[in-house]
Amino acid sequence: MSLSFRNAVSCFLLSALSLAGPLAQAQQRQPAKIKASAIQVMMIQSDKVTVPAEFQVSLYEELIDQLRQKGDFSRVYRDGDRNAATVPDLIVLQCTVESFKQGSEKTRQVTTVAGATSITLRCQFKDERGNSLLERNITGKVRFFGGNLKATYDFAKKAASAAGENFGSRN
Amino acid sequence: MISRITVVVIAVVLFVYNPVIWVTRAQEAQTETEAVQLIGLAGLKDNTKGRLLVVNGSLRFIHSKGNAEVPAAAIEDVVTGRDSQRVIGGTLGTLTMLAPFGSGRVLSLFRTKLDTLTIQFRAAGGGLHGAIFTVPLGKAEIIKQELISHGAKTSIPTQADPKTTTSKMKEKK
Repeated sequence: MSLSFRNAVSCFLLSALSLAGPLAQAQQRQPAKIKASAIQVMMIQSDKVTVPAEFQVSLYEELIDQLRQKGDFSRVYRDGDRNAATVPDLIVLQCTVESFKQGSEKTRQVTTVAGATSITLRCQFKDERGNSLLERNITGKVRFFGGNLKATYDFAKKAASAAGENFGSRN
Repeated sequence: MISRITVVVIAVVLFVYNPVIWVTRAQEAQTETEAVQLIGLAGLKDNTKGRLLVVNGSLRFIHSKGNAEVPAAAIEDVVTGRDSQRVIGGTLGTLTMLAPFGSGRVLSLFRTKLDTLTIQFRAAGGGLHGAIFTVPLGKAEIIKQELISHGAKTSIPTQADPKTTTSKMKEKK
């Protein structure tokens, strides 16, 4: 009885140790956040790919909305905002459309499996001097419910999360 | 000698039937339309319903809690587009998806076409804003032309045929 209990305890300890090691390493590997009190979102660029104006504007506005809601930055500035010029630890976010597939809401509602809208953007986080700090491709999708513009909301949520993981005024 | 009463009557008739006044009234009636603000105007929730009109050189959105105004001169780009929405939308529309034998899906085929009006404008601090409205079919181009006549800028001077635009995009892919 006591032997089986001892075996069970040792098994539990061994498994706990084997799990704790990689977890601790993963925590150590996570890069430290770059301190930035403010972020400036530039208007979405679409040089290579033709994107309807409503998508371009919706991406920009949703991105600003999501960054404000997440609260990782104390201030979120718009493209051209003169107040951003005086902020010392400012991050500039420039997103460029890499690919765009406009689906159909009607097709989605009728078939469920077809008609998805997808948009991929290259997001560049730069410091105030223009040096690139982080570059990442982020995709926004709408597969089942909602209009095509819901893909811009999906993108904005992911982009705001990426910004919050790597930059911010909070540690 | 013409009596004073005759002069007054002539003046009133001329004022009432003045073609300039009628043209102005007709233009005001043309530009005012039902609209839904999808996103962009400060202090307004997404998908706010209201009325859109061009008045005193500004784009005015009248909603249940007040007005939002954007001066036409501050608009850097005004673009129109096409979209469609389910005839039965909202919560009821979502519930119809649960209807038996796929009947809800059939209802999705019944759609109303509408126009989109997208604007980009600068606020007082220089910040760039964007706003998207949906309006009944054929109204967006009228509002766009009205805004351009009051100093708004556009990257697409005349409305592109949506079918042509789509096919060009497909060709690119």
